[in-house]
Amino acid sequence: MTLSNAEQLVLSGMRLKDDATFRNFFAGKNGLVVNFLQNYEMHSLDGFVYLWGKQNSGRTHLLHAVCLHAKEVGKTAIYLPMETLIQFDPSVFDGAENFDWICLDDVHLMAKQPLWELALFHLYNRLQAKGLRLLMTAESAPRELNVTLPDLQSRLTACTIFQLHSLTDQEKCEALVLRAEMRGMQMPQEVSDFLLRRTSRNLSDLFDVLDKLDHASLAAQRRLTVPFVKTVLGI
Amino acid sequence: MSLMIWEQCLDLLKDELTVQQFNTWIFPLYSKEQDDILVLQAPNHFICDWIYQHFYSRIKEVVLQISNGKFVNVIIEVGTRRDGEGLPTNITSHATSMPHSSNHSTSKEIPYFQSNLNSTFTFDNFVEGKSNQLALAAAKQVGLEPGGINNPLLIYGGVGLGKTHLMHAVGNMILRQNPHAKVLYLHSERFVAEMVKALQTNRMNDFKMFYRQVDALLIDDIQFFAGKDRSQEEFFHTFNALLEGKQQIILTCDRYPKEINGLEERLKSRFGWGLTVAVEPPELETRVAILMSKAEQTRIEIPYEVAFFIGKRIRSNVRELEGALKRIVANANFTGQPVTMDFVKESLKDLLTLQDKLVTIENIIKTVAEYYKIKVSDIMSQRRSRSVARPRQMAMALAKELTNHSLPEIGEAFGGKDHTTVLHACRKIKEMIETTIDIAEDYKNLLRILTT
Repeated sequence: MTLSNAEQLVLSGMRLKDDATFRNFFAGKNGLVVNFLQNYEMHSLDGFVYLWGKQNSGRTHLLHAVCLHAKEVGKTAIYLPMETLIQFDPSVFDGAENFDWICLDDVHLMAKQPLWELALFHLYNRLQAKGLRLLMTAESAPRELNVTLPDLQSRLTACTIFQLHSLTDQEKCEALVLRAEMRGMQMPQEVSDFLLRRTSRNLSDLFDVLDKLDHASLAAQRRLTVPFVKTVLGI
Repeated sequence: MSLMIWEQCLDLLKDELTVQQFNTWIFPLYSKEQDDILVLQAPNHFICDWIYQHFYSRIKEVVLQISNGKFVNVIIEVGTRRDGEGLPTNITSHATSMPHSSNHSTSKEIPYFQSNLNSTFTFDNFVEGKSNQLALAAAKQVGLEPGGINNPLLIYGGVGLGKTHLMHAVGNMILRQNPHAKVLYLHSERFVAEMVKALQTNRMNDFKMFYRQVDALLIDDIQFFAGKDRSQEEFFHTFNALLEGKQQIILTCDRYPKEINGLEERLKSRFGWGLTVAVEPPELETRVAILMSKAEQTRIEIPYEVAFFIGKRIRSNVRELEGALKRIVANANFTGQPVTMDFVKESLKDLLTLQDKLVTIENIIKTVAEYYKIKVSDIMSQRRSRSVARPRQMAMALAKELTNHSLPEIGEAFGGKDHTTVLHACRKIKEMIETTIDIAEDYKNLLRILTT
C-alpha cells in the first residue's frame, strides 16, 4: 500500500503545531487582560502582574504568549513552571534576574512551602530593585493563596491583579472554530456544537480532539462534518 | 554569526519540543562562539544540568547540522547574555554590590559609587498620617543630620506600611544635601548573599572594606538575619565600625527587634542605641490620602468619594491599595472611561467580593471568641458577665465596621439580639477605645487579624 501525499506529510510531522500566542487565544471576557499583556512592555508602572483563574482558564497559554511577545519586542524572557520545578530546590531561581521578563506559572504550589515562599519573596525584591518584570499565575487571588510569609503576601497584593474568567460553552465553540481556522480548517457550527455536546467540555481536551480531527481530516482529505467526526472519534 | 546559527537552531527545536520545554529550557539560553565550539549560557547550574540530561545530544546534532559542521562541539555553562556580550556585570560601578575584582582589596576608596536608591521614594510623596507621623519626623531628622544622635534609626512595623519608602526618602535627602555621599541601600538577604560569596571567594577584606566606607548604610528587613549567625557576626562588626565613624545606619524590621527569635542579644541591644520608631497601619483618612497621592503620581483623576470608597474597603496595607489602583488604571486605559464610583466597583469587583467573602459576621464572632479565649456559644448567649459581654460588644462593633450588614441583621446574627443592643455595643466600644488602652489595643489587633 502506498501512502498518499497528505498521509506522508502527516507522518513526517509536517502538520502545523499550535504555538501559544495571543492570536490563537480566545479572550472571551478576558479582553482587558489580553490587551494589557499584548502591550506589556508599555506599562511602565505595572511590571508585576498576577493572573489568577481556574484550571484551563488560559493561564499557561498567556504566559507562553508573553514569552513569544518578549522576543518580538527585543526582550529576554524565561518561563518557569512550578509544576515541574517545585520538586527541586529554589536554586532554580538563581540568575533569573538576568532576564527582562520572568514568567512564573502556578505560584499557588509554593504556598505553605517556607523555602519556596522565601525564594519568591527574595526574587520579587531582586527584580524590583533592578526594575525587571515578573508575571505570575495562580489558581486563586493573592489573599486566598494561603501564603504564610506576610511579606510575600503583601507584595503579591501590590501586583496588577487580573482574574481570568473561564469560557462559556458558546465561547468554547467559538474558540474551537478560531483554533481550527488558524490551522486552515473550516469547522462548521454544527461540528463545534456536536463536540461540546458529546466530548469533554474541558478546553484543553477539546483542543486535543481538534488535533486528532486535524490529523484525520488531512490524512483522509475530508472536510469536517458531524458524520466524519463521529467516525474518527468512534462515537 | 553564532547568534544567527543559534536563532535557526531555535526555530528547529521549537517545532520539536513542547511550548513549555522550549520556553523553560531552550529559549532562555544565550549563545557565543569559541572557535569551533558553540557555548550556550544558562542562568544557573540547575538549568545547565537539566539541559545536559534532557536535550544536550539533540542540541548538539542540530547545531552541527545548521552550522554545516562549523561547530563540532557545544558547551552549556552558567552565564548570562551580559557576560557573553561583555556588558558590565562588574558591579563596581553600581552600589548594589561590592567590588568584583580582588585588586580592590588594598584600595582605600570605593572607585566609583552610584547610589542604588529608588529616587521616586521621597518625603514629598510620603503621605503623613497619625499612624506614621513619628517615624516620618524621625526620618526627616536623620536626613537633615545623618550620623547624629538618631543613629541607628530603626523603623519597624507590619508589611506594606511604608518603611522602605521612608528609608529611601532619608537616603535621597542625604544625597540631595551631599551628592557625593555614598548611600547604600540593600535588602538583608543581599548582605547575606554577598558575605557568603566573599567567604567562598576568599574576599572578606573587600567585603568589610566596601560596607565600612559608605556614608549611610540602609538595610531592609533585618528580621531575615535571624538564625544566620555568621552574617550577624559580620554585620555586628560593620555596625560598630559605622557607628564609630559616625556613618548613618538605617534599618527596617517587621517587628520590634527584641521580639526576633534567632537574633543575637548584642545586636538587639545595639539596635536600640539610636532611635526606634514604629509605623502603624494607616487609618481611613490616611489611606484615602495615599490613594489620592498615588493616583496623582499615576496621572489619573480619582474623585475623593471614590478614593474614600476604596480606602474603606481595602484596609490591610498600602501595597494592596496600590494593587487596586493599578487595576483601576489598567481598566481606565483599556476602556477610556472616567473613574467613577460605578467604574471602580466594576473594576474591583473580584477584589471587593473577595473581601466581603472573607469578612463575615460568623468569621468575626469566631475570631473574637478565639482572641478572648471564650466559646462562640458564649458570644451568642444572653449572659451579661463582663468576660462575655465585652468580647460580644467588641464583635458587634467590628461587624458594624467591617461588613455592610444592617444593625438588625447584626443583632440577629448574634443570637437574636435587638438592634439597639448592637448600637449600644458600638457606642460603648468607640468610647472605650478613646479611654482604655487595652480595649484600643484589642480593637486594633482584631482589626488587623480580620483584614490581613
